[in-house]
Order: sequence, then structure tokens, then C-alpha cells
Amino acid sequence: MSQATAAPARPALDRSRALAWLQDYGVYLAVALLLLFNALFTPHFLEVGNFRTQLVQVAPIVIVSLGMALVIGTEGVDLSVGSVMSLAAAVSVLYLGYGVAPALLMALVAGAFSGVVGGSLVAFVGVQPIVATLALLVGLRGLANVLVPQLKEFRDPALLSLGSDAVLGVPYVVLVAAVVVAVVGFLMRRTTFGRRLVAIGGNRRAAELSGLPVRRVLVTVYALSGVLAAVAGVLATARLQAADPTSLGLFMELSAITAVVVGGTPLTGGRVRVAGTVMGALLMQLLTSTLTKHDLPSSWNQMAQAAIILVAVYAARERTTR
Amino acid sequence: MVKPPRRGARLRAVLAASSVALLAVSGCAKSEDGGDAGKDQGGQGQQAVQSTAAAGPTCSLDKFGGEKFDLKSAVVGFSQSEKEANPFRIAETGSIKAEAGKIGISKLRATNAQSQFSKQISDVQQLIAQGAKALVIAPLNSDGWEPVLRQAAAKKIPIVTVDRKINGTPCQDYLTFIGSDFVEQGKRAADQMIKALDGKGKVAILLGAAGNNVTTERTQGFKQQIQAKAPGIQVTFEQTGEFAREKGQQVTEQLVQSHPDIDAIYAENDEMALGAVTALKGAGKKAGDVKIVSVDGTRAAVQGIVDGWIHAVIESNPRFGPLAFQTLQKFLDGEGIPEKVIISDREYDSANAKESLAGAY
Repeated sequence: MSQATAAPARPALDRSRALAWLQDYGVYLAVALLLLFNALFTPHFLEVGNFRTQLVQVAPIVIVSLGMALVIGTEGVDLSVGSVMSLAAAVSVLYLGYGVAPALLMALVAGAFSGVVGGSLVAFVGVQPIVATLALLVGLRGLANVLVPQLKEFRDPALLSLGSDAVLGVPYVVLVAAVVVAVVGFLMRRTTFGRRLVAIGGNRRAAELSGLPVRRVLVTVYALSGVLAAVAGVLATARLQAADPTSLGLFMELSAITAVVVGGTPLTGGRVRVAGTVMGALLMQLLTSTLTKHDLPSSWNQMAQAAIILVAVYAARERTTR
Repeated sequence: MVKPPRRGARLRAVLAASSVALLAVSGCAKSEDGGDAGKDQGGQGQQAVQSTAAAGPTCSLDKFGGEKFDLKSAVVGFSQSEKEANPFRIAETGSIKAEAGKIGISKLRATNAQSQFSKQISDVQQLIAQGAKALVIAPLNSDGWEPVLRQAAAKKIPIVTVDRKINGTPCQDYLTFIGSDFVEQGKRAADQMIKALDGKGKVAILLGAAGNNVTTERTQGFKQQIQAKAPGIQVTFEQTGEFAREKGQQVTEQLVQSHPDIDAIYAENDEMALGAVTALKGAGKKAGDVKIVSVDGTRAAVQGIVDGWIHAVIESNPRFGPLAFQTLQKFLDGEGIPEKVIISDREYDSANAKESLAGAY
């Protein structure tokens, strides 16, 4: 009985510490466990070709998720990413007649522009991020469908090569994703922009009062998310060897939010975990791959994903309610 | 310093800037040329009736209880289920509209439910409200039509359902169903597969979207036939590709990596088969290494046969226009209409692919 006064405090602290650890590093643990499981039980898993397949498939999700992580870091959300992908797909094949470089440039410009519109609605007009980007989610898919009404195959050798070739065994698609990871990591760790972004997400009012260019940073963040989604859309199109605005990027916003949340970035803003987001996307990819390779029904995949999201949300809860 | 503009002004500014930019984007597009050589060739590839449940009861104007009217001057409604973004839906809507134009139906009203069932229900209710005297419906689902059927029956509006069925009583809730037999398509795909593999080997199935009767029936027919005719063939893998090219590609990439001994793929539509082809190319396979059999008969897939990547394609013919309107006309002329009209679908393989290319949709 003499310890009764001190005892309740200790376990509570340990528990919240454990949860904080789970939020920060749980995703690494989960990826490690899945890799171990596959190494033991999945035939042909430990082959270079397999890792290449997984990385190629996850690359567009990683790229979109990093843009999403930046937006979520400002306490926002970007629901338009999937539709921006489809718009980028449509625009890239529409301008292919001028050559690959102008076509891809136009696709990226379209992505940046979508982001600027969304960001302006949020920063200047004061529309809530979820509403502003929901409008874009609906509208941009419609626009993409008007531009390219049905799946359109292309034959441009340079664009085909972007989707299927590799340098020194590393597919271009994976290379682009790696560059994006490095750039976003650099932005967040080494630049004033990164620090401002986090400051705005942590407390917008305080950031405004201390004279930070809040609106400019917000618009830039949404524009970045738009450009990254467009990059992903172009890569996915190059891989498919056809632009398919009707179904490309459907539900991508949900996959991206999942990767960000599972990676330990809180939805309340003020924190962006770049490596965690990459691991979050990898975890979801590995999960899908594991269930597919073991020929289990896709409904299992959905339920397993839900379980992982719940664990992530539970781990994040403790920290945000403090 | 000027006063900051009001919110409304900012919103207008953002919207105005976006519309200007949109115009600029669409204004000077220039895509690769020579892409869509040869649109639908008018008379080619028409549907033919295979069986009409001849033994069963037929439905006549008297029995249905309606009155004769002139199809050409009446309002006729067509309700499409999915966006015309895939070859099947494009050809289906195109065929209905072209045939209506050809026989002189001047008041055809077409709607599209964009894959939302609730929208399709209200679409059809709208068509009835606009005074439609006859309806052609490509249903998204088979169930859930009761409220619409009741409204149509009260006004004695004959309904022809195409490509998918509506659950209800023929000649009372609706006039007739015109479409393919999906189980049969599965069986014929299995026959082609047995030929391709000489009766033994390992097959993977790329399933269609889950919870869809097309998926269920194409799977059922395929498996039944394989079991009955070629016990040497094993289905070792079945995963959904959701009828989409990208998903078909991704699943096939996982498949060839983890099951390198796979001999063949049965894709439940052409889009997934084409995705599989891209995946096989990416994995360094050669044309014909893995036999592919699929269902639909789109031009891109028939071209795939010519190129050697696809072994055979079972057709699912979407050109419902002529049969749908002939059926309505016969009904109005007092003839008996069978409760279902099953169309005969063609089959494409290396023997006929090249000369059939123009007839594919």
C-alpha cells in the first residue's frame, strides 16, 4: 500500500511512451516483420526481380504521399491528388505531338496550377482544405475525362522507355521516386520553407503574428502536392503505356493519407515524417503483395489495411490528446 | 496601402484565373497522330440471335396490356449504366443512337448513370416523367428496380433490358432481356484454353470486379468446363483485376514473380488481358510464352491476337441497337416476344483475327 501513490503514475508514463514509440517507429517494425514473413513463406520473394516489382509499383504512391505529408503538416489535406494524376495523364498524351519534354512539362504545369488553385482557395479565400480539394477532386476528374474521354494508348518511344527501362538495374520510375524523397527530405530538414511549414501547421495564428508569409507558404505547399501528384500520374501513365483518365488514381487520396498516417505524421499538423511516410507506403504495398502472392481474396487486404490504420490512429491519439 | 479585397472578390479572382488557364490548356493540344484509325464500321459486327427460349412463353401486346403507338414519333428512353469510357459502353450507346437515327426515331432521350445505381433509378424515373413510351435499359445492377418497374407497369411502358438482366417477371415487370450468356462465354474461354494448353497446365484467373454477376458467371462457366473437360488443367491463382488495365498489369506483375511456372492467364475482360500483356513484356517474356484467353472482343485485344500475345478472345457483342428496336417494333406489331433473347457471340483466334479486326469494336 505504501507504493500505491507512486505506482499509477509510472505505468501511465510508460504506456504513453510506448505509444509514442509505436507512432514513430511502429511502421519500421511492421515492414521488418512483413519482410521476414515473406522471406520465410513466400516463394521467389528474395529475388532482385521481386524487389524491383514492389518498388516500381509503390513509386507513384510514395511520390503522392510525400506531397500529402507536406499538406497534412500544415494541418490541411489534399483530396485532389488522384484527380490531378488523371489530369496529368490526359494532358501528357494530349501534348505528346510536340514531343515528350513539352508534354511532360505541360502535365507538371497542370498539376502545379491545380495546386495553386486549391492552395489559393485555402490561403486567400479561407475555404477549408477538405472542401477546397474535394471540389478539385470532382472537377479535375471531370476535366480529364473531357480532355481524353477513353483510354488512349501512345507509342512515343521515350515515354514508353520512362515507364519500362532502367539504368544499372534501377527502373527510371524508382529513380524518380528516390529523387523526390531526397528533395522533400532536404526541404523539410534543411530549409526555411520546411521550418515555416511546420510552424504554420503547429499554430497558424502564432505563425501569422510572428510575421511568417503564411499564405505564400500554404499556396506553395499545395502547388508542390499538385506537382508531385502530376509526376506520379505521368509515371503511372508511362508504365501503363496508355492514358486512362477514367480510372487512373482512383482512391489515391485515401492510399496517400493512409501512408502518411501509418508513417507517424499526425493529422493535426506541425510535424512531417518523410522517411516514415515512405515506410507507410511500403508497408501497404508489401501487405497487398503478400496477400496477392498467397492468393487470398482482396477483401482480406481491405480488412488488414483497416486494422493497420486503426493501430496507427490509436498510437497517434495519445500524443494529440495531451 | 489598398484595403484587402473582400472574400467574394478573391473567390471570383481565383475562379476567373482558373478558367482562363483551362482554356489555354485545351486550346493548343496536339496529340500523337494516327491513333484511332477506323471508328466503328457501320454495318460490320452486327449481333445475331442465338436462341430465344423458344419453348418458353412469349409476350404479346395484348398480354402485356399496352396500346400500339408509333415508335418513330414517340419518346423513347435509353438509360446507360456506366460512363462511355470503355470500348464496350461506347459501342453500346453508339449502336442504340445510330440505329434510332437510322429507323427515324426522332425523340430518343439518352441518360448515363455514371456507375451510380441511385442515379440510374432517378434517370429512368425522369425518362418516364418526360413521357417515354418505351424504355431500353442497360442496368448497372439486376436488383433494386421495383419502384421503377411499378411506375413503368402502371403506365404500360415496355422495357427492354440489354446486356444485364433485371430481376422481375417478364411480360409484367419488363418485356424482355437481350444479351449474352456469360456462363457460356466462360465455357467457350475454357475450350480455347484447353486447346491452347493441350489439356494440361497451370492457369491464373484475372477476375472482374467483385460482387458483379458478369464476374461470377464468367468464372463459373470457365471452371465448370475445365473441370469437366480437362482435369489436367489446374487453376492455381485467382485475383481480381477489377476489369481495369492498370490493376490487371499490377496483379500479373506479382503473379509472374511469385508463380514463374504459370502457363496461361484467363482474363475476364480485354482490358485486364492487355494489362497482363504489358506486365509480361516488362518481365521479359516473349509473345506466346504465357497463353492469354479473354472475353470482350475489343479491337485492341484482337490486335493482340494478330501480334501473338493473346491466344483467343471470346466476344461479348455490345451492338444492341438493331435487335432492341426490332424487338420493340415486332412487339408493337402484335407479334409474340420471347422472355429472353440470347445473342450469338463470335470468337477470335489466330485463324480469323486479322480479317476480323475491322468488325471488332
